[in-house]
Amino acid sequence: MKRCIIIGKPNAGKTLFALSFAAYLGANPLHLMFRHPQNNTTSWKTFHREEAIQELTSSKPHHTRNLQQLVVPLPARKGAKRIQLIDTSGLVEGIPEQKDIRRAMAQTLAAVRDAHLILHIIDASRVKAAGAVEALGEVDYQVAQFGQLRDGYLILANKIDLPEAKEGLDIITREFAGHQIVPISALYQQGFKVVKQFVQRRI
Amino acid sequence: MGDRVHPANHDEVLRFLSEGKLSTADALRLLRQTRTAGVAAKEKAAPPPVNPEALRQTLAQLNLLVGLNEVKGLVREVLAFVEIQNRRRQEGLNTEPTVLHMIFKGNPGTGKTTVARILGKILHEMALLPKGHLVEVERADLVGEYIGHTALKTREQVRKALGGILFIDEAYSLARGGEKDFGKEAIDTLVKAMEDHKDQFILILAGYRLEMEYFLQTNPGLRSRFPIHIEFIDYTLDELLQIAELFIAERQYKLSPGAKAKLLRILQTRISRSEANFGNARLVRNILEKAIRQQAVRLVNVSRPTREELMLITAQDLEGRGTQ
Repeated sequence: MKRCIIIGKPNAGKTLFALSFAAYLGANPLHLMFRHPQNNTTSWKTFHREEAIQELTSSKPHHTRNLQQLVVPLPARKGAKRIQLIDTSGLVEGIPEQKDIRRAMAQTLAAVRDAHLILHIIDASRVKAAGAVEALGEVDYQVAQFGQLRDGYLILANKIDLPEAKEGLDIITREFAGHQIVPISALYQQGFKVVKQFVQRRI
Repeated sequence: MGDRVHPANHDEVLRFLSEGKLSTADALRLLRQTRTAGVAAKEKAAPPPVNPEALRQTLAQLNLLVGLNEVKGLVREVLAFVEIQNRRRQEGLNTEPTVLHMIFKGNPGTGKTTVARILGKILHEMALLPKGHLVEVERADLVGEYIGHTALKTREQVRKALGGILFIDEAYSLARGGEKDFGKEAIDTLVKAMEDHKDQFILILAGYRLEMEYFLQTNPGLRSRFPIHIEFIDYTLDELLQIAELFIAERQYKLSPGAKAKLLRILQTRISRSEANFGNARLVRNILEKAIRQQAVRLVNVSRPTREELMLITAQDLEGRGTQ
């Protein structure tokens, strides 16, 4: 089973995208496996989509501090295939002070290393927000360079439903010229069709 | 920041990241640039690193050989293969076993031994052979006179060649004489040695093209054990002259125009008279060595030969007296 990892800055909308995309592909209820970086343990929980979004997402950064994996079906040309969707904690610039966040970072990168597909989420509405955790930074450029080594690497310019995102999308397009970029809204499932096709073609 | 720490592998990158010694961006960059986990330990056990300077020189030596373009191409191919397999191994990817036993086909004097010797050096410098020396043997060195003697003699030669190349000239002669011949026993012993001492030596079977092909046909098991076949084509007249000039220049002699013309004539007659197995650098060498001695005889009675005279080989030095 191919591993598809979702990474990006804190509060870029990774978890919402993961849950929403899984539901879009027809997974309901969602069986999530949580991998805790603190003690290397795992736990399982089953949610309905609404519950999951309520419990696992937040409008504040650093809500996700562990890996959340779920297996989703993916209709393929011959029968259905499955992929592992891995939601991660946000990547922070510099060296985080909190040990928990650093550990979560290391866990995320370990998963990035082992992933086949990388979906890189950038908050298009906050690209230029100086000092904000969501703003474009060195980590994003490094992710893009790393992504080229994988089977598939796709940039998702999220929150495209917000009016500020238009300009942000232009900046992303300019900064990441040569990479495939899809504008999406995780909240309204915009652009999901393209993402689905991208993933389908690579499994 | 990331420049101050030098993690050896991925696991270390991740550890440094969680210990706060690396920023996230640096960790990502290092993940891209360093090797996968576990490799560091394996690498330490690997043979000493190759000596790029020595390797470069040996390759230059190979390229200096006249002609042999096909051979040089094949050697480059083998080297590239070996190099990439090594790097794949370092990255933890599946590798093809590097079986480098070879068959050299060609007439005498077409460079088989010379190439084998240089190949040994190259593989040694690439850390593929611990010693890289060449043990050159023929039938008489392998085949014994009584039952059991052959295996003993053959094993002894293999033992000498461990860490280098065992080069069997006119290897097809091991198959002559039919079933009862001890040559068969030598072949069996060699095949067993190839299994027992995998990766410890390289076996090269050399000989005339047709005989070698017949030899491989009659011993079908052998063919699959020798993935590399190199054909040594006879030198052209042009190449033979180049070889002559190189040989002469290396020894700080010169050929006079007359001598060149005469050498050309000699080689032409030899080729047309052919001698299916002409095409022979050794013959050129013999002619020239004789000419050098002849020149000495000519000059020894000259009271004070000039520097120029000491260097010059004239037509009359070639092939003895006055075949002009």
